[in-house]
Amino acid sequence: MLLLILPPISEKHAMLINFPYIKRDTPIHRLDPRAKLILLILYGLAAAQTSNFWFILIGFIGAAYYYGLARLKWIETKRVWYFIIALNVMLVVFNYFLSAGSVVQGVDLTHQHILFSIPFLGFSNKAPFLVPTPLIFSVESITFMITQGLRNFAIVFLAIPIPFTTNPGHMGISFKGMGVPDKFSYAIDLSFRFLPTVTRDFGTTLDAQRARGFEIDKLRGGIFSKIAKLAPMVVPVVIGSVVGAEDIINAMELRCFGVGKRSWLVVLHARLIDRVVITLTIAGFLAVTLLNILGNFYITGFLHVLHIQGIPQFLFP
Amino acid sequence: MAVTEERSPAKIWGIGVRQIVYMALGAALYGGLSWVTNIIQLPSAGNVSFRPAIVIPLFFGAVFGPWVGLITGGLGNFLGDYISGYGVYWNWDVGNGLIGFVAGLAMLLTWGRYNNARNIIVAEIFAAVGVVVGIGFAAYNDIWISKMSFSTATIGELLPAAGSDLINGLILLPILLVAYNAAMRRYGRG
Repeated sequence: MLLLILPPISEKHAMLINFPYIKRDTPIHRLDPRAKLILLILYGLAAAQTSNFWFILIGFIGAAYYYGLARLKWIETKRVWYFIIALNVMLVVFNYFLSAGSVVQGVDLTHQHILFSIPFLGFSNKAPFLVPTPLIFSVESITFMITQGLRNFAIVFLAIPIPFTTNPGHMGISFKGMGVPDKFSYAIDLSFRFLPTVTRDFGTTLDAQRARGFEIDKLRGGIFSKIAKLAPMVVPVVIGSVVGAEDIINAMELRCFGVGKRSWLVVLHARLIDRVVITLTIAGFLAVTLLNILGNFYITGFLHVLHIQGIPQFLFP
Repeated sequence: MAVTEERSPAKIWGIGVRQIVYMALGAALYGGLSWVTNIIQLPSAGNVSFRPAIVIPLFFGAVFGPWVGLITGGLGNFLGDYISGYGVYWNWDVGNGLIGFVAGLAMLLTWGRYNNARNIIVAEIFAAVGVVVGIGFAAYNDIWISKMSFSTATIGELLPAAGSDLINGLILLPILLVAYNAAMRRYGRG
């Protein structure tokens, strides 16, 4: 079995891979891994086609409900959430300031409903390229910023449950089931098997180098010297693994790997609910894509809905 | 007895047992080293964060070919995110795959042999182009996926990530190539 149980000591020094998968009986755990991956990818591609606040909000609520069904506890995911929240908030706010309160492309900017503006710096085509520019806070730009945040978090709600609810041993066969060639699917499967070994080797090497006086956390010198000093940790593991892989290659060749059609130990059977999720996801993606294309030809009405922000009238000053 | 080295397109583009195993090993090393260097929290030097793991797709691409580099980078990034619990972000997986793929195109000129300075420089050039292309793909894809502005994608993602990867990758790659060459000689395969 791939899953290694982390001993009750600090992860910082254990250097053992602990896959985030948590065995539990929830609708998301039972869902076919292919359905989870297709849902994540197609939702991302569909959400990328619009900045309509209502569409993104509906997607966000749906994704949050999906995440809730996975019944992941805060204690299990908080480390991931801290990172994701910090990254997303930073990117959205950073984007707002860097693009001087950007609004989705294609929206008429001549009639922005400006609430207030603050002095800021903006980019210019001429030297010195950075000039004082007012940073505008309008109903449109703030709505766009919120929409951007909702879109990113909706994708995260679909992405995080994958490692926490999917058995790593099912990933290779999942990709195989989505049409990835046998050899590549086997490479995926094999990489999950290699992971515990290579991280253990990193740990052993690090301990051995530390015993020789190598202080990885107190590297001295300039940037180049510091990076070059990481070589004693990287080189032995990589070269040792590459040389050791010859035995695996020989063993696989002796067993005639790749000569005939490969059979898998685990076989995924899509249930009715899996088929429904996959079908609805593909249908939703196609509908959004069609609506997006038609929106280019119709400048008003429902067919143009994906090309507008959809801000309700009562929000305008 | 004269020994001739096989130099055919199959050596670069073929996918056999050897390539499958190196793809999986490279991906595991990339994902594993990314995870390890995250948890031991390496110090950074100024604005350059230590990402020694980036050398793995560059090395596997340069030595075992573009397909191995592609899967090492793409699958390795997928694994790194997976074991950290972050989920799946396909544009960064594809971007990392491109890093290894472009680095692997060095084999068209070097045939995977790095026993002289010229070939190592060729590998460095392809690695640098690979980092810019791969990170550029992922960062500029976020303009479409996350509706970021061009300046945010450039200043917020491309420059810090590609800058750090270039410095880390280009310093560690020749060290690894020389060490690999020495190891192969020792095992009678160099």
